Amino acid sequence: MSALDWTIIAVYLSWIVWDGIRLSKNTSEIEGYFLASRSLPWWAVGLSVMATQLSAITMIGTTGQGYAVGMGLLQQYYALPIAMIIIAVTFVPFFHHARIFTAYEFLERRFDAKTRSFTALLFLFSRGMATGAVISAPAVVLSVMLGLDVTTTCLLLALPTAAYTMLGGVQAVAWTDVKQMYLIVFGLVAACLALMMGLPDNVSVGEALHIAGTTGRLQVFEFSTDPSARYTFWTGTIGALFLFLSYFGTDQSQVQRYLTAKSIDEARTSLFMSAYWKIPLQALVMIIGVFMFLFYIFTPPPMLFNRAHDQRVRESARAGEYVAIEQRFDEAVAARKAAAEQLAVAQRSGDVAAKTAQAAAFNAEEQRVLSVRAEAVALVKAVSGDSSYNDINYVFPTFVVTHLPIGLIGLLMAAIFAAAMSTVAGELSALSTSTVIDFYRRWVRDDGDQKHLLWVSKLATLFWAVFASIVAIWASELGSLIEVVNRFGSFFYGSILGVFLLAIGWRRANSTGAFVGLLTGMGVVGWVTLNTTIAFLWHNLIGAVVVFVTGMIVSELTGPRRPQSAVRVPAGEA
Amino acid sequence: MTAMGRTYLKVTVVWLVTLAALYLFQAVFTS
Repeated sequence: MSALDWTIIAVYLSWIVWDGIRLSKNTSEIEGYFLASRSLPWWAVGLSVMATQLSAITMIGTTGQGYAVGMGLLQQYYALPIAMIIIAVTFVPFFHHARIFTAYEFLERRFDAKTRSFTALLFLFSRGMATGAVISAPAVVLSVMLGLDVTTTCLLLALPTAAYTMLGGVQAVAWTDVKQMYLIVFGLVAACLALMMGLPDNVSVGEALHIAGTTGRLQVFEFSTDPSARYTFWTGTIGALFLFLSYFGTDQSQVQRYLTAKSIDEARTSLFMSAYWKIPLQALVMIIGVFMFLFYIFTPPPMLFNRAHDQRVRESARAGEYVAIEQRFDEAVAARKAAAEQLAVAQRSGDVAAKTAQAAAFNAEEQRVLSVRAEAVALVKAVSGDSSYNDINYVFPTFVVTHLPIGLIGLLMAAIFAAAMSTVAGELSALSTSTVIDFYRRWVRDDGDQKHLLWVSKLATLFWAVFASIVAIWASELGSLIEVVNRFGSFFYGSILGVFLLAIGWRRANSTGAFVGLLTGMGVVGWVTLNTTIAFLWHNLIGAVVVFVTGMIVSELTGPRRPQSAVRVPAGEA
Repeated sequence: MTAMGRTYLKVTVVWLVTLAALYLFQAVFTS
């Protein structure tokens, strides 16, 4: 990377810390520090919600998925708008009327302290680990791209984020999220345009997309009813509905965002920003992956995108073998390019028979490329001893560094940093809030001393930043980026949602029912995870249903509670 | 219908239009 690109990254990192702290106001009390005194406009909250959810994993892992397998993952987001409507009708008014700091605080008012503490503890554990993965995943890739070691890169992401989150509280998080979101969207649009302009003159964008279509990469509706199929229309609209209800309705990192809104309607409107824009934004991310696939059909790609592994094999005793594979790879890539050009010509001619024949020829050449590459990957695994080697997460950063002009490289790298930092900041703030409100103020000291609580809150943010950094360095040993994050959350998400649904939807539910239901739900999800091949998006549905049904039965058997009035929603607001 | 009710309807309509557009996109480029 050039000096200009490094300067852009350095300026971005310095500016975001300065700006975050500069925009913090009224943070002398914990309501200001944790909830911005419930004063933020809907658009800022909405952008903050989206920025927290769109991590660097989305930018490098999801574009990599688009490159390797296509846009099927997009189906996972189809239920999001419906989840937002349900949350707007149910969770938002309950939370706002309860005047709470954390989602789990609501559970104590509805059930008891142990249900609150247990769910808060699950959140702290899973989100603390996931924050580590959110730092680690891009750090591993960026370290190779920037020529730094993984630990340094982790700290480069974590320290500035910790600084403005700790000093500025949630206002710093929200306002920096807004600007980071602009940078991310600018980066994604710029990358997409650069990829389209990188196609050869004799192949139009439409013809290129038809080429991608013949490989199945544009399949965005898959109606398979196989329960082990990961991304289908059904997992996306039913299974993922429960994932989003849980994530946006019960996860403090999201709930805290809309608790900062001025009113119930502003909170609802902020969520609808995601309802309108999340699917198109995710489609943009995935189509970038598809365009990278098309770009590398016409511009020879590296055989392996992870330069560190590539270098390692070249320096090993099996370098000769590697070079021979590379020669066959180059031949296969050239043949694939010729087949793609023929397919574009057939597409232009409108001759259906010619198009079908050329599509088959192209797919045969594509399989040949994949087959040769698989040999190289097997060699890398044998030489490095890294049996989980997977380089799809390196595709986007490799494209950025090797094919974009100077200046834009720095901006795109800054956008990847922004995506990681906006997510980490939101999560650090939520972890700190839950630690202080659900544990310290609840069990240790509650004398109303704002100065003391504020000091503890900053200390808690620092603690979670250190914790996440340590996890990040450890998590860099784990495999695929997206799955690392999902794995941590999926054990608890559905079950925690079940407890909240029980609290809001079954007035006779009692604390025993809620607690037994929660434990049963987690046990069932654990068993399903370990003993079946059911896709993970269904786990959320299973967990929620088991908790709700068990909670209902146990509540009825142990003596239902009287209807709750403390957090009743006034008529007309739900 | 309340203002928020109209918003819920708008979100649902935009959602259906988005899915329809994606289905059309798939149909055009995978045919």
